[in-house]
Amino acid sequence: MKIQIQGDTLHISEVRELGAANSNSFRDQARSAMSDNQRNIEIDLSQTSFVDSCGLGTLIALHKTACSRRGMVRLLNPTPSVQQILELTRMHRIFEIVKP
Amino acid sequence: MADSPVSSRPAALRLTLACELGEVRRVAAEVRHFLAAHGCDAAEINACDLALVEACNNAIKYTPPAAKEKTVAVECLCDWARIDLRIHDHTAGFDWPVKAELPDPECESGRGVYLMQTLMDETKYFRAAGENVLFLRKHRAARPATAPKELRESDRVISEMVEELSSCYESLSAIFRYSSAQTNIRDLNDFAHRLLTDLLNITGADWFTLRLTSHDHSRLFVFAASEPALELAPLSREEYSPTVKSVELEAATSRREVWFDAEHPLAAQDPLTSVKPDSHGLVHPIFGGEDFIGTLTIGKTPAARATRRGHSGSVFTAGQTNVVGTFADFLAIQVMNARFHEEQVTSRLVAHELDIANNIQQSMLPKELPALPGFQLAAFCRSAHQVGGDFYDVLRINDHEQLLVITDVMGKGVPAAMFAVILRTMLRASPELASQPAALLTRVNRLLFEELSGVDMFITAQLAHLNSTTRRMVAASAGHCPLLLATASGGPVRELSPEGMPLGIQHDTHFAEETLDLPPQCRVLFYTDGLAEALNASGERFGQDRLVQWFQTAARTATSAEQLKRELTDVLAQFQATKLLSDDQTYLIMSG
Repeated sequence: MKIQIQGDTLHISEVRELGAANSNSFRDQARSAMSDNQRNIEIDLSQTSFVDSCGLGTLIALHKTACSRRGMVRLLNPTPSVQQILELTRMHRIFEIVKP
Repeated sequence: MADSPVSSRPAALRLTLACELGEVRRVAAEVRHFLAAHGCDAAEINACDLALVEACNNAIKYTPPAAKEKTVAVECLCDWARIDLRIHDHTAGFDWPVKAELPDPECESGRGVYLMQTLMDETKYFRAAGENVLFLRKHRAARPATAPKELRESDRVISEMVEELSSCYESLSAIFRYSSAQTNIRDLNDFAHRLLTDLLNITGADWFTLRLTSHDHSRLFVFAASEPALELAPLSREEYSPTVKSVELEAATSRREVWFDAEHPLAAQDPLTSVKPDSHGLVHPIFGGEDFIGTLTIGKTPAARATRRGHSGSVFTAGQTNVVGTFADFLAIQVMNARFHEEQVTSRLVAHELDIANNIQQSMLPKELPALPGFQLAAFCRSAHQVGGDFYDVLRINDHEQLLVITDVMGKGVPAAMFAVILRTMLRASPELASQPAALLTRVNRLLFEELSGVDMFITAQLAHLNSTTRRMVAASAGHCPLLLATASGGPVRELSPEGMPLGIQHDTHFAEETLDLPPQCRVLFYTDGLAEALNASGERFGQDRLVQWFQTAARTATSAEQLKRELTDVLAQFQATKLLSDDQTYLIMSG
């Protein structure tokens, strides 16, 4: 994965999968990359082929982090299968999902 | 199979993974490949992929530390209609909700079961001690009505293989069952019925008939049949000709399997046609070793063919045909056993009867030889078989008269012994003629003629009336070998052979009498032809000359009848060493 700081936004990309095996480290890496200046998190899901319920839990955890900073989590270009899971679990109501 | 689109058997994959979350995606990837290879579409694969991952994650996360060494097993079955996943975990188990609800949106966990239930069409959780199984099923989307030709062909081949395997399994289990029962069969008919009823189930046939050869092998009679109507009349094997249409006789004659089917239907005249017209099936000849012992026929009526249609064109598959052969071999062993047992029982009965006959015959011989004053007697009687036709007798008339008898009934065994008994009784029943041997022979010949000639038998006999006071002996013979007279003082042996036909040859026949005035220290030998006919190991006869020669020498050296008997017994025993007795041997020796 790749983490970039873009002003008040933490931009994460090149995530292949977000599942039980890597979601905790994903969350920890993201949190540790955020300084006090960042309140929003953008996660580029265009290369993410798989997200499971643990991955969703991590996204919610990051959502809570952003909210606590009065920011938000934005999911960018999810692949269809990930989009389906987000909708299935009604996560699209929590996250701003940005499509091309 | 025709245009059936798919096989009814699911493809199966079984995998195990260590109790580590990092393993889950590897296994899921293998399942994805497997499903893709079996034609599942992306939506089906993705749904199963995620559901499987959720299930495995739970299985691993909730496994107690003590069970972490154990693996999680994943099974995937896929056919045209559904995908089944089974995940075996070693957790304490979950309370599986009928319908999981989504948790609060802010909640970071609790969506796994909801996802599984939403993505899959059926979910069940089975809890057990030590291992639980989560069952997930996904119904597959409708497929085109027909599968590609290659797929259909593979499917057909696989179907046949499965049927063959299944048939093999049934056959093997039946074979094992019957193998273990082989030694414990009391009722052959019951065994045959059970075996052949199983055979019908295995082969899909609906009737059988088992014919066995009669004892003289001339006929084939029905020993067992699946229904009374099939208990047809015996078939005569001698009547077989190409014009006699019977598949069973054809198999018996050719000693090969004979099939009857659409191409070679049962002939209208075939007895089987009268009961099972239009049947298709097989006649299997049954052999016990090299010997033909019967036929096993199994068939399918048109009704059975309609309900249990095989894949191949033939009535029975190769596997089923092999089972018929195996079962026929089982039957052969049992039939041979039963026949052997029957023969044993019969021979035991015969042996028992012979024992009784032998006892009677032995009791017929005089217990003691009533010697007259100045004379000694010794006798020997040995049968070539358990019972024989030789006997000797000594009938006391008064203190100085007696009748000596030696006879040989032509033939051996029980019939000869029976006539020996009759003759002895007749002789003893005519004491008034005991001093007239020729008259006595005439009488018994007349009495016995009808019975003897009726069975083509005859008896030779020699009778000698002895008066110890006058030392005169009157002898008569019914075709018997000559009596020998010798003296201790030496000189030639005299052979005395009064004229007379054996008993049973002519109704009215003349018996001559010869009178002998016995010299002092005389020795007289009465014997049956078994002595002269005795054979040694190289097939050489003992012969009359050798007997006469021996008697001449022995008469000089032996001092008593008993000693002569012992010597003769020894001489004969040496001559016949290692050779079975071929004829009865009996002799009576008088000295005085």
